[in-house]
Amino acid sequence: MVKKRFLLAIAFVLLGAFIGGCSQNPTTNPPVAPTEPAKNAQQQAVVPDGQNTPLPSSVQETMSVTVYSATKDAMYLVAEHYVVPKNTHPAQTAIELLVAGTKNADLVSVMPAGTKLRHISIKDQIAYVDFNENLVKNNTGGSASEMLLVAAIVNTLTEFHDIQKVQIMVAGKKIDTISGHMDTGEPLSRSEKIIKK
Amino acid sequence: MHRRVLSFVLLMIFMAQQVGMTAALNNSDGPATPELTNVRWLVHKDAVEGTSKLRLVIETTGPVKINGALSESAGPQLIIDVKDAVVGKIDDAVALDGEIADKVTFSKKDTNTSQIIVDLSNMIDDTDYKIFTLSSGTSSTKTFRVVIDINKPLPKINYNFTPGLKDKVIVIDPGHGGSDSGAIGPNKTQEKKITLAVGQKVKTLLESAGAKVLMTRQTDVDVYGPNASAVDELRARTKVANNNKADVFVSIHINAFSNPTVGGIATYYYRNSGYGAMLANNIQNNLAKIGGFQDRGINSAGFYVIKNTEMPAVLAELGFISNPNEEKNLNTPQLQQQLAQGIVQGLENFFAQASKKGGGS
Repeated sequence: MVKKRFLLAIAFVLLGAFIGGCSQNPTTNPPVAPTEPAKNAQQQAVVPDGQNTPLPSSVQETMSVTVYSATKDAMYLVAEHYVVPKNTHPAQTAIELLVAGTKNADLVSVMPAGTKLRHISIKDQIAYVDFNENLVKNNTGGSASEMLLVAAIVNTLTEFHDIQKVQIMVAGKKIDTISGHMDTGEPLSRSEKIIKK
Repeated sequence: MHRRVLSFVLLMIFMAQQVGMTAALNNSDGPATPELTNVRWLVHKDAVEGTSKLRLVIETTGPVKINGALSESAGPQLIIDVKDAVVGKIDDAVALDGEIADKVTFSKKDTNTSQIIVDLSNMIDDTDYKIFTLSSGTSSTKTFRVVIDINKPLPKINYNFTPGLKDKVIVIDPGHGGSDSGAIGPNKTQEKKITLAVGQKVKTLLESAGAKVLMTRQTDVDVYGPNASAVDELRARTKVANNNKADVFVSIHINAFSNPTVGGIATYYYRNSGYGAMLANNIQNNLAKIGGFQDRGINSAGFYVIKNTEMPAVLAELGFISNPNEEKNLNTPQLQQQLAQGIVQGLENFFAQASKKGGGS
């Protein structure tokens, strides 16, 4: 009983600090309160639909990355979602996953064999993505392959809100075309039409 | 121990409600009139289709109703009334790309209506723009946007086709050549050899029907020069058509893909005039009649040679060289002749259909 009263007293002090100090200093640390249950309680009060499974703090944070692969008939692209450990370079991670290729037997990887990412940078919402020469050398040479390849690179990178366009490069230089059909001399934007609905 | 936790939980719920109520009180004057607060724009160039459009996004602090119309009273303009919205801290005028539109201005029309005025670089048609509103986020983080999409206007070319192949100027472009072999089949067939063989058969058939045929190449050569830059090579092909004021341009290719079971015929056009799709459709319909091939249909694509030609232009992909069966058949003069006949019949059908449409772009 004594314990309970003590706790209530602390709680009222806390309440006062919270309401009174809110506008000046919202980060005021509660002096003695066990903070974890308090946090959870607040989340429960704010999010009513029970979606607030608290993140276990010991587990590494993750991020979701979307990568495009081709359908087996070479008609469309399909989005595949990966959950990977969170890092500071998600666009690079997305291209590395694109280069690694799909593990789904119903889809086909778009990247020519031996293609490696050399470098990627983002400036003014344009991603400059630089591959080694195998992007051109090991391409099948068909327009179907080229179209799916270009669209997969562009659509994978424009999944990120800070990337609106993509300039494809090989060995540090812009390339006008990969196999003589597509015009890749300028930064390109996302194409929704080629994504399988 | 459980009761301690429980009382804390209850207390925190109570506190959260207090905070929520305070927040609600701050908004008690009723919903404020939405304001236009920010504008951003970019030119979207579709990776596959190659078409460009200007996208303007105007952020508003609440939901708005919009109504747009084209006007020519003060030069070409797109004027959008935003009902029940005021001009907020947005810039009064913002310069745009200069090719599709020159600038956008924001002004007050009357007490309840703001106006977004887009000064267009050239007059467009009603089908060339789209305006809509968007909202996203949850009820507490909701953001609202007015979106304006304006297509890059097409060059105003007044086509006027007559029926028949006689005296038509037709450019045939056998894909690749010389130092560029194009795709190579599993049995080492080179794309450049098949495209030339079919192209020459198309030439013979068209000439016997009275057409004037210009070939971008007649032998196994690079069109621009050996090992030229890729874009010089492609531009050289489009120049043959543009410099000779050709009626139509047909580029012949053989497709390839990593999966060897994929096969079939497809025809591509660039979305610059209704005639491109019409030409593609007529050619594809006749090619699809040839047995043994899947009909992959017609599609718009931003391929260099069809994007940079000034007349209706198509790129036909006559099967997959990566498919061993199609590779074998493509080497036979019989199939090459059938493919050439399909293209020529498609051209004849195109001129017949286009002549009925009369002039116009």
